[in-house]
Amino acid sequence: MNKLIVLMSVLGLCLHAIEIPTQHASSQAFGKSVAINSQVIQLSNASQSVMSLVSGHIEKYYVKAGEKIKKGDKIVLLESIAISKMTAEFISQKKQLSSVNKNYKALQNLYKKGMTSLQSLNKQSIQKDELLAKLSALKSQLKTLNINTDGLRKATSNFIIYAHSDGVVAKILQPLHSGVGVDTPIISLVKEQAYYLKSFLPLAYASKVKVGQKLTIDLDGKIIVSHVTQILPKVDVQTQRIVLLSSVDEKTDLLYINAYIASTLYFDDAKNYVAVRTSALSFYKNEWVVFLPKEEAHEEEHDEHEGHGHDEHEEVGHDEHEEEEAKYEIRVVKIVAQDEKFIGVEGLREGEEYVSAKSYYVKSMLLKSSLGGHGH
Amino acid sequence: MLGYLIDSALKYKLLVITLFLVIAAFGFKAYKEIPVDAFPDITPKQVVIYTESPGNSAEDIEKLITYPIESAVSGMAGVKLIMSNSIFGLSYVSIFFEDDMDIYFLRQLVSERLGSVAIPSGWGKPLLGPNTTGLGQVFWYELKDTTNTYSLREIREMQEYIVTPLFKSVSGVEEVVGWGGFLKQYNVLIDTKKLQNIGVTYQDIIDALQKSNKAAGGQYLEFNREQYLIRGAGLYKSLDDIRHTVIKSGKGHSVTIGDVASVEVGSAPRFGSISIDGKEAVLGMVLQRTATNAAKVVDRLKEKLSTVESALPEGVVIRTIYDRTEITLKAVDTMTAALISGIILVAIVLFLFLFELRSAFIVIISLPLSLLIAFLLMDYYGVSANLMSLSGLAIAVGMIVDGTIVIVENSFRKLHENPTKPKVEVIAQAAKEVATPVTFAVLIIAAVFIPLLSLDGLAGKLYGPMALNIVFVMLGSLGVALILVPVLSVLLLKPSSSKENFVMKGIKKIYTPFLLFALGHAKLVLASVSVVFVVLAYILSLQGREFMPELNEESIMYRVIAIPGTGLEHSTKTAGDVEKYILKNYANEVSSVLSMIGRSENGETAQANYMEVLLTLKPDIEDLPALTRKMNKDLKQAFTFINFVPTQPISMRIEELLEGVKAELAIKIYGDDQKVLDSISKDIQAVLGSVDGLEEMEVETQLGQAQIKIEPDYLALARYGISVEEVMNVIRNGLGEEQVSEKIEGVRRFGIVAKIKGAKNDIESVKAITIRASNGSLVSLDQICTIEIRQGASFIKRENLSRYMVLSMDVQGRDIASFVEESDALIKEKVNIPDGYYIGWAGDFKNMKAATDKLMVIIPITIFFIILLLYTAFNSLSKSMLILLNVPFGFIGGIIALVVSGIYLSVSAIIGFLAIFAIAILNGIVLVSFIDELREKFPNVALKIVLKDATLLRLRPVLMTAFTTLFGILPLLYATGVGSEIQYPLSVVITGGIISSTLLTLLILPSTYLLFYEKNHDAGVKGK
Repeated sequence: MNKLIVLMSVLGLCLHAIEIPTQHASSQAFGKSVAINSQVIQLSNASQSVMSLVSGHIEKYYVKAGEKIKKGDKIVLLESIAISKMTAEFISQKKQLSSVNKNYKALQNLYKKGMTSLQSLNKQSIQKDELLAKLSALKSQLKTLNINTDGLRKATSNFIIYAHSDGVVAKILQPLHSGVGVDTPIISLVKEQAYYLKSFLPLAYASKVKVGQKLTIDLDGKIIVSHVTQILPKVDVQTQRIVLLSSVDEKTDLLYINAYIASTLYFDDAKNYVAVRTSALSFYKNEWVVFLPKEEAHEEEHDEHEGHGHDEHEEVGHDEHEEEEAKYEIRVVKIVAQDEKFIGVEGLREGEEYVSAKSYYVKSMLLKSSLGGHGH
Repeated sequence: MLGYLIDSALKYKLLVITLFLVIAAFGFKAYKEIPVDAFPDITPKQVVIYTESPGNSAEDIEKLITYPIESAVSGMAGVKLIMSNSIFGLSYVSIFFEDDMDIYFLRQLVSERLGSVAIPSGWGKPLLGPNTTGLGQVFWYELKDTTNTYSLREIREMQEYIVTPLFKSVSGVEEVVGWGGFLKQYNVLIDTKKLQNIGVTYQDIIDALQKSNKAAGGQYLEFNREQYLIRGAGLYKSLDDIRHTVIKSGKGHSVTIGDVASVEVGSAPRFGSISIDGKEAVLGMVLQRTATNAAKVVDRLKEKLSTVESALPEGVVIRTIYDRTEITLKAVDTMTAALISGIILVAIVLFLFLFELRSAFIVIISLPLSLLIAFLLMDYYGVSANLMSLSGLAIAVGMIVDGTIVIVENSFRKLHENPTKPKVEVIAQAAKEVATPVTFAVLIIAAVFIPLLSLDGLAGKLYGPMALNIVFVMLGSLGVALILVPVLSVLLLKPSSSKENFVMKGIKKIYTPFLLFALGHAKLVLASVSVVFVVLAYILSLQGREFMPELNEESIMYRVIAIPGTGLEHSTKTAGDVEKYILKNYANEVSSVLSMIGRSENGETAQANYMEVLLTLKPDIEDLPALTRKMNKDLKQAFTFINFVPTQPISMRIEELLEGVKAELAIKIYGDDQKVLDSISKDIQAVLGSVDGLEEMEVETQLGQAQIKIEPDYLALARYGISVEEVMNVIRNGLGEEQVSEKIEGVRRFGIVAKIKGAKNDIESVKAITIRASNGSLVSLDQICTIEIRQGASFIKRENLSRYMVLSMDVQGRDIASFVEESDALIKEKVNIPDGYYIGWAGDFKNMKAATDKLMVIIPITIFFIILLLYTAFNSLSKSMLILLNVPFGFIGGIIALVVSGIYLSVSAIIGFLAIFAIAILNGIVLVSFIDELREKFPNVALKIVLKDATLLRLRPVLMTAFTTLFGILPLLYATGVGSEIQYPLSVVITGGIISSTLLTLLILPSTYLLFYEKNHDAGVKGK
C-alpha cells in the first residue's frame, strides 16, 4: 500500500518536474577542419610565366625586361591566323544572321497573310536558331581571348596578351617575330608581393591533407582564403609538424612577413556519423552514456526515491533492473568524432530518440537513491 | 558532627545570616556572569588538520597528504579516534582525544607531530583548524551593497580586508570565515600558440613572473652627516608592470609577458558560493573560540558593528542572518520561566499545606538561596548556563525544599509540643533529630545523579552539566537546611497550635480507609503491585528508543544534496531556484532564504554538490511543525533531482559530530578498495532487504566524480625532450591556476596565475593544449599524455587509518537492538566479506547503546552505594532494602506516563527514572525513619497501629515533599519554548513517577514494613 502511494506520487511529480527535451539522432559530417598555426612568408622564386593562349607570330612587345607592370597591362601583340579565322567567321555569320532574320520577318508577314505555309516559317526559324547558337559559341571563345565582339566590324589577326597580375618582367622568353604555339611561355613575371602561408600541421593529420585543400586565415574579421599548393616532404625539425605552403593571392596590408597567424585547414574527406548534441552526453559509471526515453515509461514507473521497493532490486544485476524499470534507458556510447555542437557516437542508431539536453537531471534521478543525506 | 554544626550555627546567628547574605550577593554576581549558551559544549576534544591542495583529486590527496598526516598523529597519547576525509582539493583529518586533556596542549602536540610529515612540495601545507567548538558559528552576516555599485569580487575583498580584521580583533573570536563572491586574482592568460612564435616555453613564463616582483633592502649611505636608506622597490605596481616583465632577451630587444599573454583582473577558482533570495552574495561567519561565552562574543561583535560599518564604503552594510544569542536567549528564557513558575508553584503548595506564613517563608527563602549557591558553584567550576544545566535546576526545584521542609516541620511540631522550653534548645533538638535523615536523603539524591557524570561522549556532555547542577543545588539546599534554617526558625517561628487545615483534613479522610485496607491485605496488595510492575517493565522494553529528542530551534534549514560531481555554478543556480520557489510559495512565512553552496575557502569538507539552505522566518508563525512538513513535501515535489534533508542549525552541527553518521543506525564497512566496499554494501543490502522493520536503506556513494586523467607517456616525452615536471606544471599552473607570484597592494595580497587561454572550454581543449619544449619541440598535450575520462572517488573517508563506507538505515516499529542482532547474524551467515574487510555498527543507536551499557554498570554500583548510605543511616540492611523496594513502585507511574504519551525511551527519559529513584527513596526515608521513631516511643503498641498512626502523622511531610517536587517539575511539562522538547520526556516520566511513588509509598510501604517486621515486633511486644 505504502509502495503504491509512493509510486503514484513519483509519477505525479515526474509530470510537473523539469521538462526533459528529446531529439532524434541524425547523421552528421565530422572532421571537417583543424585549427593550426601559420606563418606568413615570402618566397624568393615566386616567378610566373605569361603564356600564349593561341598560336601565332610575335608582332610586338609592349614591355621590356625589368619593367614593372600591373595587372591588365598590355604585354605582347600577336599576329594569329587562328584569330583572323575566328573573327572572319564571326563577322560572316553575323551578316548571315541578319539576312536570315530579314527572311524570317518577311516570311512571317506572308504567313500572316496566308501566303506561305507554317512549315517553311519553321524551317526559317530553325535556321535562325542554329546561327544564333554558333554565334554565341564563337563570341564566348573570343571573349576568353579578351577580344570584344561588340565593336568587331572586320576580321583581324591581331591579338593582345595582357598581364594577369602585378609584377616585374624578369625575362622575355621568345624573340620578336618568332612563331609561338598554344601554352608557350612568352615572358616570365616575378610577383612583387608573393605572400605564402607556411602552416604547421600535426603529424596526426598526415593522411588527410592534400594539395588544393582550403586554408583560411582570419585577419581582424577579414577572412582570407588560400589553397594548399605544396606539402613539403620534410617535417619541421623543431615542431615535428608537417609544413604546408599556400599562396595568398589577395593583397592586404595586414600581412606581415614572419608573423604567426592562427589558421583553419579544411579537409574534404569529412565522414558521417550518427550524432547527438554535446549537451546530451553524460559520464555515468565510468562510461559515456546518453539517455533514451522509454515508451512504456508511464505504465511502469520505478520508485527510485524510496528505499524499500528499491532494496529488493539491489542485487548484483542491479543495473539491468534499473534500466528495465526506469523511465530512461541508459545507453553506453563510444565517442568517435566531435565538433562544437555535435558528438559522433557509436552505439546509437540513426533516428533513435535521445535526451538532447538536461541529461544532468536524468542522471540525478537515477542516482538520487544512493545520494544519502550526507554532503560531507 | 551535624549536631555541632547546628549548635554553632545557632550560637553565631548574626554571623550565619551575614554569611548567607554574602553568599547570596556573590551568587547573584555569578548568576550575572555565568557564560550563557543555548547548548552545552558537546564538541569532543578534537584537533582538526586541514591541508588545502588546490586542484588535486581525492585519490591523490589521500595518498600524498592524508595518509602521511594520519600516520604521523596516530599513536599519540590520548588519541581516541582519527577520522579523515579526502575530497577534491582538501585533506581533512580530525583527531579525537580523551576529554580530560587540555586543548592547547593537544594542539601543540599535534603541530609538533606535523613537523615530521613530509608532503611533496606544491601539495599544500597542513594547518590546524580553528580552535573552536562544533557549535562555534555564533554570528552570520551578509555583506550587502545596498547601492548596487560594487561587484561581488569587490564586496568579497571588503570582507577579507576590512571586516575580517576588525571582527578578528574582538575578544573571543577565533576566526572569521568569508564565503561567496569571488576572490580577486591577476590572470596572465597565455596563448600557447604564441610560444612557437617567440621561442619560449611555458616554464620560462613562470620563471619570469617569479623572478620579477621583488623587493630588496640596500642598507644605507651617509651623505652630509645624514643617513639615507636604500631600498629596491621592484614589486609589481600595475598590470603594465606585469606585461613588461622580460621572459627572454634577444639582441637589442626583449620578449615580454605582454607578447605571449594578456594580463587582466580575474577571479580565483572557487569551491563554494552563497546565494541569498535568488542572488549571489557574500557571507561572513564568525567562529567563537573554545570556552568563551557565545552571548558575550556576539554582544562584543555587535558593539563593533558601527566601527565596521563606518570603515565600509557608503551603502555597504552588514545584515545579520543568524545570531546565536537569539536561540540562546529563547532557550534560557524557556528554562528560566520554568524555574520561576516552579518556584511560585512550590510556594503556593507549601502555603496550602502549612497554612502558616512564618514557616512557609523560611522554606521559600531556602529556594533562591540554594539556587544562588548553585550558581556560585557553576561559576567556580565553569559550567555554562544553558538549556541542559538550567533544566537541572528546574528539575531540582521541588527537591530543594525537601530538607528545609523536614527541619521546619519538625521544629514547628517540637515548639508546639514544648512551649515552655527555650526556643533555641527546642529547635536545636528538633534539627538534630532530623539532621541525619535529611543529610542522607540529600546525599542519596545527589548520588542518584552522579552516574550521569560518568557518561562520556555526547551523552556525558549533554547530561553531565544537568547532573552536576542537580548535585550543586542539592548540596546548596543541604547547607541552607542545616545552617540557615535552624537560625531562621529560632528567629521567626512562634509556638502555635499546629491545627490541621482543611486540605490535610480532606486528604486524610479519603486516605485512611485505603491505608487500613492495604495494611489488612498486605500480601495481596504487594503481590498485585509486583505483577503490575513486571508487566509494565516488559512493556517498557518494547518501547521505541532514541538518543535525544529533536531540538526545536524555531528555524528551518535544509541540507540539499545533488549528485556527486555536480558543478558549482549549476548548484548555485539550483540554490537560487530553490530560494525563489520558497519565497514565492511561502511569502507569508519566510522573509529571506540563504544558501551556502559547497564550502568556504578554508577547512570544510563539503563539495559543490552540497548545499545548506537556511530560512529566515517571519515572526509569529503559528504552527511551525506543520509548516515544516508542508514545505518538506513541496520542495521534494518541485525539485525531484535533488535530496532535501530537513534539519536545524544547531541540530545539524550535532549530527555532524555524531561520528559523521547522522542516521539512527548505520553499518560502516571498512576496507581498502572502494569498489569492493561498494559490492559488499550491495550484498548487505540484498541480505537485509527482507529483515523485518527496515524502512529505508541508503548507501553513501563515494564514487561518481568524473575525472580527466592526464597520464604522461614517458616514451613520448623522451621523443620530444619534455620532462614530466613541465607537464605537471602546465597542469598545476596553467589549468589549476596555482599562483606563481603575488601582487601586493598595501597589505592586500592577490595571486598572479599563469593561465592557459581557452584551455578549459571543454575536454577537447584540454587535449589541444600546446606545450613547447626548451629545444623548440611543439606538441599538444594529447601527443605526450594519455588523456582519459574516468569515474573516480568524489571523496574518501577513513577512520583509524582504514577506508570505510557508510550504509545507513531507518528502522521502524521494532527494537533496534534486536534488529541489529538479527541483521548481524544474517550478514555473518550470508555475506562473504573478503579478508581485510570488516563491518561495524554505528549511528545514533551506538551512542544510545554506549550510554545504556555504561549505565548498566554504573547504576548497580550507585545502587550499592545508596544501600550503603541507607545502611549507615538506619543501621539495618532490611530497612535499606525496604526503602529500595519503593523504587519499582515509583517506576510504575513513570512507565505508564511514558507509554501513554507515546514518547520514546531516550536518555532524557532515563534521567526521569533516575529522579524517580531519588524521590521514591526520599519518600521511603521520611516515612521509615518516623515509623522507627514511633516504634521506639511506643514499643508496646501493635505494629499495625504504630504504622497507621505514623503514616497518618507523616502524611503531611510526605505529601509536601512529593507535591513540591511535582509542582516544581510541572512547568517543564507544559513549557513550549525553544528547548522544552528536550526535557519533555523527563518531566513526563517524573510526573507519573511522583504520583505513583507517593501513592504507593503511602499504601505499600506500611504494608511491606508490616510484612518485614510484624513477627519480630509483635514478638517483642508479647515478650514484654
